[in-house]
Amino acid sequence: MRAGDRLVMDAVRRSGPWPAVLAVAAIGGAAAELALPYVVGRTVDGFVSARPGTASWLAACAVIVAGIMLCESAGVWARGASSAYAAARLRLSVLRHVLGVGPAATRRFPEGELVTRAGLNAEEAGRAPEAVTGALALLVPTLGALAALTLIDPVLTATLVAGIALILFVLRAFLRATTTIAGGYQEVQGEIAVRLVDALGGARTIAAAGTADRETRRVLAPMDRLRAHGMELWRANASAGVQAGLIVPLVEVAVLAVGGLRLAAGELTIGELYAAARYAVLGAALSTSLGYIGGLARARAAAERVAEILGLPTTRYGTRLLPATHPPAGTSAAPAGRGTVDFRGVTMPGLAVDELVIPAGSVTAVVGRSGSGKSLLAALAARLADPAGGTVLLDGVPLPELDRAELRRAIGYAFERPVLVGDTVGAAIGLGADGQGVVAAAATAACADGFIRRLPGGYATPMADTPLSGGERQRIGLARAFAQGERLLVLDDATSSLDTVTERQVGTALTADPRGRTRLIVAHRLTTASRADRVVWLEDGRVLGHAPHHELWADPRYRAVFQGPQELGGSDGRGGDLS
Amino acid sequence: MKSLLWQALRRRPYALLRLCLWSVLEAAPAFLIGHAVARAIEDGFAVGRPALGLVWLAALGCAWLVAAVAARQIILAVAAVAEPFRDDLLAHVVGGAMRRAAQSVTARPDTAAVTRAGLQVELARDAFAAVVTTVRGFAFTVVSVVLGLLTLAPQAAVLVLPPFVAGLGLFLVSLPALARRQRAFLMADELLAESMTGMAGGLRDIVACGAEDRVGAALADRVEAQASAARALARVTAARTIALAVGAWLPVVLLLTGTPWLLGGGMGAGVVVGALAYVTQSLAPALNGLVHGLGVSGVSLVATLRRIATSGPPAPLQTSAPLEAPEALVAGPGRAGAGGVRLRGVTFAYGPHSEAVIDGLDLDIPEGDHLAVVGPSGAGKSTLAALVSGLLQPDSGDVRIGGVPAADVPPAARVLIPQEAYVFRGSLHENLTYLSDAPPHQVEAAVTALGATGLLAGPPELDPGSLSAGQRQMIALVRAYLASARLVILDEATCHLDPAAEARVEAAFAERGGTLIVVAHRLTSATRARRILLMDAGQAVAGTHDELVRISPTYADLAGHWQPEPVS
Repeated sequence: MRAGDRLVMDAVRRSGPWPAVLAVAAIGGAAAELALPYVVGRTVDGFVSARPGTASWLAACAVIVAGIMLCESAGVWARGASSAYAAARLRLSVLRHVLGVGPAATRRFPEGELVTRAGLNAEEAGRAPEAVTGALALLVPTLGALAALTLIDPVLTATLVAGIALILFVLRAFLRATTTIAGGYQEVQGEIAVRLVDALGGARTIAAAGTADRETRRVLAPMDRLRAHGMELWRANASAGVQAGLIVPLVEVAVLAVGGLRLAAGELTIGELYAAARYAVLGAALSTSLGYIGGLARARAAAERVAEILGLPTTRYGTRLLPATHPPAGTSAAPAGRGTVDFRGVTMPGLAVDELVIPAGSVTAVVGRSGSGKSLLAALAARLADPAGGTVLLDGVPLPELDRAELRRAIGYAFERPVLVGDTVGAAIGLGADGQGVVAAAATAACADGFIRRLPGGYATPMADTPLSGGERQRIGLARAFAQGERLLVLDDATSSLDTVTERQVGTALTADPRGRTRLIVAHRLTTASRADRVVWLEDGRVLGHAPHHELWADPRYRAVFQGPQELGGSDGRGGDLS
Repeated sequence: MKSLLWQALRRRPYALLRLCLWSVLEAAPAFLIGHAVARAIEDGFAVGRPALGLVWLAALGCAWLVAAVAARQIILAVAAVAEPFRDDLLAHVVGGAMRRAAQSVTARPDTAAVTRAGLQVELARDAFAAVVTTVRGFAFTVVSVVLGLLTLAPQAAVLVLPPFVAGLGLFLVSLPALARRQRAFLMADELLAESMTGMAGGLRDIVACGAEDRVGAALADRVEAQASAARALARVTAARTIALAVGAWLPVVLLLTGTPWLLGGGMGAGVVVGALAYVTQSLAPALNGLVHGLGVSGVSLVATLRRIATSGPPAPLQTSAPLEAPEALVAGPGRAGAGGVRLRGVTFAYGPHSEAVIDGLDLDIPEGDHLAVVGPSGAGKSTLAALVSGLLQPDSGDVRIGGVPAADVPPAARVLIPQEAYVFRGSLHENLTYLSDAPPHQVEAAVTALGATGLLAGPPELDPGSLSAGQRQMIALVRAYLASARLVILDEATCHLDPAAEARVEAAFAERGGTLIVVAHRLTSATRARRILLMDAGQAVAGTHDELVRISPTYADLAGHWQPEPVS
């Protein structure tokens, strides 16, 4: 059995009674629908020939109609409920699994793909029971109708099949190729969207120039072409739909005609003729009901895609805690974290660190050309990635053996482009912290307190209503790391978007951290390296030096790191666009 | 939104008329089927005249063919109403997005939301077409069936119509609840999608913060809310199905029960079968179509229209100011003193509970001055630029340009060039003359003065996406240079240029005449200005570079720090 099928079976088994109700309702309803024309025919014949016992046929009609109504209603309910339960169960397990896998999941599947699989595909896979019963509910009456028609008169079945074949053959001649139209429509749609995005990007210019109405017209300029393509689509739809819609009525007329001739010949009763006409309609739906089997194939394919995500290995954490911290001897200050980071024989593609100890409470800058492995070193120190070989230890404990909560409480990590998770600005900063009390202090240290206080709702401003610049985003990301890490702060190019003034203020706060945490700072700027206690100098994935900046500065190769092409444009790193 | 719907229907009376005429033809089989079946049996097959029976059936077949042609025309007539409706909605969405973006000067517009609104427009068009098609089809079919039953067997109509009307009534009563559930489901689904997207995008950060459990619990809540909304929707849909069954199936049972009575009234068995055909072949499918059309498409139409309505306020821009600049504010020889800017006690905050970005600012910028504004990010420099250009109104205090309140100054009197330059698809010349009607030789002169001759080497039709940020800024700067306005505000408008290009641009603007305000990205900009305004934490100090170094420790500190920044 495929992993996807197992997944669906499991989800169905845990959906309570609903799949069973659905199956009973679908099969019962199909059987009832199949029985009804025959019973109705018998009733009409019975009344016409005033046969005794017709009343019981009539009662059977009423019971069958009640059964159809009940089954349909129960089926609709069960279908919705069972797929909702199954989809929710699948989706939850996917989401929890993705959280357990961590960033590795996005390395394997793009973000949009993860969302599609947890969203749309889980929904489709949840519909597997519905697809099975739906196909049954259509196939049973269709095939049954053909059988019943044959029982009434095999000639009628032959008429039905010949009629469908003939009509399809005739219609094929009229069917013209109607492709490539949809493409044109979507293209114009895309053009309008692009124009709109351009114009929205220039909103300030447009507002200042007072040209909003003019720009609206410019964005909508391709609308005439959109309408022309749209009408073409409608025409194509009209032709195709109408031709398909003709099959059932024409087949019915053909069966009535042949049946009428049999009636005239005395080989059919009026009631049987009625039943035959109904069975013809049910049987003619065969061509469409086959399409429902496609639903099951879709559900299986979707389940397979969901199973692929569940197959990703999750990150394993240990249960060990870090050694307790003590207040520095002779002071009454807050207990200082230790935060010694120890790289031992660490190897992985793009980085090899044989022996590197980052002392507790130090400020260590990591410098090197781009691609030298700086971010990798930072990610390994915070266990956002695991090395292929060797160990990284925090205060003597190998990171994989640490309890997850303990690990994250110890380490705060600030990214170059932080993604802010949380409903409000305050919640986004406090994402990794235990209490909200530390939020304002952390924001102040990250020079974010000022602009947050000026937001419409201060710290309670919803993130959705807060468009932030790259620099503001970075400062909130910094604040989040400050609020979280008790022993180690890792800053991976986390001040790159700040203007020189703000960067300096943040740098000052960082150097004078009152909690004495270890600070590991990946940076491009000379000032950052010169402010640090020690510098780890990386080149091509190897540590070339680990010493104070002024000592390394003697090496011309070290100086060259800061005079590389990326620095020529100054701290802005841009320029020369037009020359 | 309702008005949009009615407008779409009313504006095309000819299409509506066509729709009705073709609908009559399309409904012909619905009228004919009972008669044809009854007569074919009664007058043909049952009495040994099969030829007559075949003639009746052939007539029915022909009616179906004609109906098929009519159905095609109906789709086209519906399209003729639905396409303009789509155009209206699209114009509404685009116009609303543009106005909102223009009004919320400081907020970056949410382009993703706008794209979503575009999708909603397509959904609304399809739903609108489906609703028009099904409601119309239902009405014409019901009228045909009623006429057919009354002419074939009036007694049968008594048995068929009451349960049908009851079923229809039940369905209509259940519709509002259905719509509510559908809307609740759509919203729960959207919230869930939003959370999942947020989780997938922030996975690295969530793990780094150790917030897996917290985020997982929040996600579980959303998943459960969506599933429970789906179950609630299934419940009301099941109730709706009962209504459908009452309207479509009960008439069959009643017809059969009444068969002895009908036969006793002198009707043939063929007539009974004909009446049954009316119910099973015409009435039940029409009711089914209506239930689907209103219950799914109608509900989705209402939901999407509501979404579109909230995507953009239709309120027009405030254009109390005359479109043309008064003489006094337009650049020209011999005009002095008109472009001066004067701020008195200006205070501005972004919300009622937030701290003021600018607090009690007094500032005079005389005509012809060149002022640089410096300060850390978030100090209110861009806010000041927006206040001076009238895009924002101060909470208290007064901003005047040449004596006129800033909000009343016509756009042509001042130019604001923001950091993010606006370049649209069109020719370079069109882009450069966006704010003026400068003839080619003037444009050329401006391009030379600003050192932007590199632009002329590019393709004549601009694709904004393929231009570098610096090229885009250059285009915006040439545009501003060519404008007739006396007051030019450059809000970090040169930040993507290299320092040499920036110096050339600023020098050209200084020589251009008029008042120049530069929100500086680099200190070098400030040192070129005649005067400097230092903004920091709601406070502002103005003076020359030397004055500020003396009187403002913050500025001295900044200047001292800026100078040694190594390699720029």
